[in-house]
Amino acid sequence: MTAPTGGFVVGGVILLLLVVLGFGAFLWRAYRLYRYMRLGRNEARIDHPWRRVRDELIVYLGQRKLLKRPYYLRGLAHAFIFWGFLIITIGTVDLLIDGIFGFHLPGAGSAVFAWTIDLFAVLVLASIAVAAVRRAFFPPPRMHVALDGYVILGMIALLMLTLLVFEGAGLSAGLLERGYTPPPIANGILRSIFSRDLAGVVFPVAWWTHVVTVLAFSAYLPQSKHLHIVTTFPNVFFRKQTPRGQLSLIKDIEQQETFGAATIRDFSWKQLLDGYTCTECGRCSDNCPALATGKPLDPQRIVLDIRDQLLREGAALLADPKARTTAPAHWSERKPEELWACTTCAACVEACPVTIEHIDKIVDMRRNLTLMEGSAPPEAQRAMTNIERAGNPWGAPRESRGDWARELGVPTFAENPNAEYLYFVGCAASVDSRNQKVAVALAQILKAAGVSFAILASEETCNGDPARRIGNEYLWQTQAQRNIETFAKYRIRKVIASCPHCFNTIANEYPQLGGNYEVVHALQLVDRLIAEGKLKIARGTAEAIAYHDPCYLGRHNGVYDPPRAVLDAMPGVERVEIEPYHRERGFCCGAGGGRMWMEEKVGQRVNHRRIDQLLATNSGATKVASGCPFCLIMLEEGVGAKGVQEQVKPVDVLELVAGRLQS
Amino acid sequence: MKILIPLKQVPDSTVRVKVAPDGKRIAADGITWSISPYDEYAIEMALERKDSDPSTIVAVVTVGPARSRDALRQALAMGCDEASLVLAEEEVAPLAVARALAKVVQDAKPDLVLCGKQASDDDQGFVGPALAEVLGWAHVSTITKVVVSEGAAELWREVEGGHEVWKATLPALATVHKSEKEPRYPSLPGIMKAKKKEIPERPFASLGIDANAPKLEIVSLEPPPARGGGKILKDGDAKALAERLATSLRDEAKVL
Repeated sequence: MTAPTGGFVVGGVILLLLVVLGFGAFLWRAYRLYRYMRLGRNEARIDHPWRRVRDELIVYLGQRKLLKRPYYLRGLAHAFIFWGFLIITIGTVDLLIDGIFGFHLPGAGSAVFAWTIDLFAVLVLASIAVAAVRRAFFPPPRMHVALDGYVILGMIALLMLTLLVFEGAGLSAGLLERGYTPPPIANGILRSIFSRDLAGVVFPVAWWTHVVTVLAFSAYLPQSKHLHIVTTFPNVFFRKQTPRGQLSLIKDIEQQETFGAATIRDFSWKQLLDGYTCTECGRCSDNCPALATGKPLDPQRIVLDIRDQLLREGAALLADPKARTTAPAHWSERKPEELWACTTCAACVEACPVTIEHIDKIVDMRRNLTLMEGSAPPEAQRAMTNIERAGNPWGAPRESRGDWARELGVPTFAENPNAEYLYFVGCAASVDSRNQKVAVALAQILKAAGVSFAILASEETCNGDPARRIGNEYLWQTQAQRNIETFAKYRIRKVIASCPHCFNTIANEYPQLGGNYEVVHALQLVDRLIAEGKLKIARGTAEAIAYHDPCYLGRHNGVYDPPRAVLDAMPGVERVEIEPYHRERGFCCGAGGGRMWMEEKVGQRVNHRRIDQLLATNSGATKVASGCPFCLIMLEEGVGAKGVQEQVKPVDVLELVAGRLQS
Repeated sequence: MKILIPLKQVPDSTVRVKVAPDGKRIAADGITWSISPYDEYAIEMALERKDSDPSTIVAVVTVGPARSRDALRQALAMGCDEASLVLAEEEVAPLAVARALAKVVQDAKPDLVLCGKQASDDDQGFVGPALAEVLGWAHVSTITKVVVSEGAAELWREVEGGHEVWKATLPALATVHKSEKEPRYPSLPGIMKAKKKEIPERPFASLGIDANAPKLEIVSLEPPPARGGGKILKDGDAKALAERLATSLRDEAKVL
C-alpha cells in the first residue's frame, strides 16, 4: 500500500468520485465533439490498413513529421514530452488504480519502470523549459501564442514536479517501500531535501495535487488545442493513403446536384477531425509560398476557421437536420481570393506534424466556387474555356499540337501503333515555344537511347490537371476520359511525361477513372537509361547548376533523387542546392493549382521570391535547372524581371542532357 | 422584361480553319463550333441585367443547321431561360436571316433585342441593323452598356475619349461591342439543366421567306501565305546596322 488514500476506504472513494468527475467531463465533451464531427459527410478511410498501422508507428510513435528540417530541436523537445506522456500515463493509471483499489498493474513495481518514469519526468521538464522559453521569447512568426499554451505547459510541469516530489518525499518518509535501488532524481536529490517529518506532510499534498491535476487536465483537454494528444492518433490512422497528388473523385458527376464545400456539412468527417487535431503550431503557414509573398491565404487559418465554424454551429446543426449553415468563415467573411491564391504546392501538407490535409479542403471549396457559382477568376475561366474548346489552356489550335515534332521524324501512334512508350507531350511542350525545345530535347534523348516511342499529336488533349485544381472536376473528367479512350484505342500501357503535372495526373488520378498505366517522368527514365549504360553523356563545360524541385515531382510524388542523379551524371557539372529551400522544403515557382493562368497582383510574385532565394545562395550557379514546363516559364519570367538573365539561365534538365549526348 | 439575343454558331477562335476543296468555303470537318464572341458579350450583358432583376427573361434564338443546338445549350447553361432554333441546313442569306429573326421577334415579343456587333466568321455586321430595319425598330450599334428604366433604355457607346448615351423607347435593338464583365463560365448544375431543356424548333421553310435574298458571292478563299523566316542583322556598329536595315526595308521588304 503506497497511495495516501488507504485503498478503498474514505480516501479511495473520494478519489473515485474525482476520477468519475474528471474523466466524465472529458468524455462528455469529447462525445459532443464526436457528434459535431459526424455532421460531416461520409468518407471511407480504411483502405490499406497495414500502411495505417505503419504510419502510427512512424508518424505517431516515431514523431517522424516533427523531426524535420528546420525544426530538429523543438521537434526533439516535443518528442520527449510526447514519449514521456505515453510512459507516464501508464504510471498515472497505475497510481489511480492503486489509490482507489489498492493494487498495482503488473510490472508497475519494477525498477525499470520506476527509473524510466524518473528519467522521462526530467526530460519532459527540460523540454517544457525549452518550449516555454521559445513560446515567450522566440515564437515562430505564424504561431498563435495564446494563454492556452501556457496553461497546458504549466499543467504538465506541475504533473512532473508533483510526481518527482511525492516520490522523493515518500521515500524520505519511508512511506514507499522499494525492493530495488530507487530512481536517481527522486531518490538522490529530492529525498534529501525533505526531512522525515516534513516528507510525511509533503507526500500526501504532492500526491493529491498530482492526481487532481491529472483529472483537471483531462477535463480541460477537449476545449484546448492540446486535444491533439487524443486526436492525432485517429488523424494519423485515417490520413489519406491514396497518393498525395490525387484529389478526390466526384462519382457520377452528372447525377449530382451540389458540388464542393460551401458549408460545414459539405466537408467530410475526416476534414473536420483535421480541425480538432490542429495544434496551431503554424508550420503550414511558415512554409506557404502564398503567405510568404503577401497573399491573403493562410493555410492554418483555413483549418482553424472550419473548426471554429463547426464549434459555433455544431449544436444548432445537430438540433435541426435541415438547418442551413453559413459558409465557412474564411470565405464568406473574408474573400475567395484566399482560396485562389493556393498553388497546391503541398508545402503545408508536408510540414504538418499531425497529417492535416489542407489542399483537399481548399480544392473542395474551389469546386463549390467553380462548379456551383461559376465564379472562378476570369483568367481561369478563359483557361478552362480554352481547354474545353482547344484541348489546351493556351487556346492554341488543337491541330498545332504535333507541329514541334514534324521535322524530327517523331512518329505518331497512328503512324507507329507498335511503339512501346507514349510520350505524352502535354500542352506546354506542345504549344509553348520555349517548352517545345524541351520536347525536342527529350525526343533526341529517346532516339539516342533507342527507346521505342510515339506521340499522339492532335489526338492528345490536356490531361486536365489545371481544370481539376481550379475546382472544375467536370472538365478534368471529360479531358481525362478523352485521353483514356485514345490510350485504349492504341493499347497504350507505358507513358512518359516531361511535365510533372501530366505525370501526376496520369499516374495518380487516371486510375480513378479506370486508366492504369506504367507512368514515368522523363527524368526518371533518363536516370535509368544512364544507369543502364544506354545513354552516354559527354564531358561539357564545367559549370555550377542549381536544381529547382518542381512540387508535383518532389513533394507530391517523392521524386527528388533521379533528377539530381542525372545532373550528377554529367561530367563537368557541379550540382548545387538552393539552400535551404530544396527537396521537401523546395519553394514553389507559383504556377501550380491553376495559378499559371491567373493574375498575381497582390504582394511579391512567388517566382520572384524564388529567384531571390536562388541568388541569396551565392552558389555561383550559372543555370537553374528544373523538370517542369511551368517552373521553366516562371523561372524565365523571374530572371527577366530581376534583370539577371545573363547571370543565371533557367533550363530543363532534359535540355542539358540533350546538349551533351555522346554519339 | 424580356431580352432576346439572336446568336450565331461559328468556328471557335482556336480552330485552324482550312479551305474546302472547292475553294469557296471552309472545310467543316473536325471543327469545334462555339457561340460567336460578340454574341457571348450580348448574352453576358443580358444576364448581368437578369442578375440585378431576376424577373428578366433572357431568350436566345439562332438560324442555322442542327449542330447550332449546341450553341443554344451553351447559352442556356450560362443562364438564359429559353432557346429556340430556326432550322436551316443550307446557308441562308443574311437578309433572309434577318427576315426570319423578325418573325421570331414578332412571336416572342421581347422588349429589347441584343445582337453581337458582328459574327466572327464573316465579320459582316449585317444582321443586327437589318433586323431592326425589317422590324421598323430603333437601333443603336456597338454598345458597351445598357440601363433599362420604365419602358426605355439608355444605350452607351464608347467613342473616342468618352461615351455617347442614347435613349430609346422600347422595344429597341442594339448590337453589342462588349459587356462589363467577361462572359460567364457556366456552372455545372447550369450545364446539366441545359441538357434537359427543350429547344423548340421550326423549319426555316415554314416561315415562307425566300432564302436566296441578295447575298455576296464568294469567288474564292485562300489561306494567307506562310510567314517566311525573319532576318537578324548582327555585325557592325549602330550606324552600319541602321544603314543595312534601311536598305533591306527598301529593297527587300519594299516598305520604304
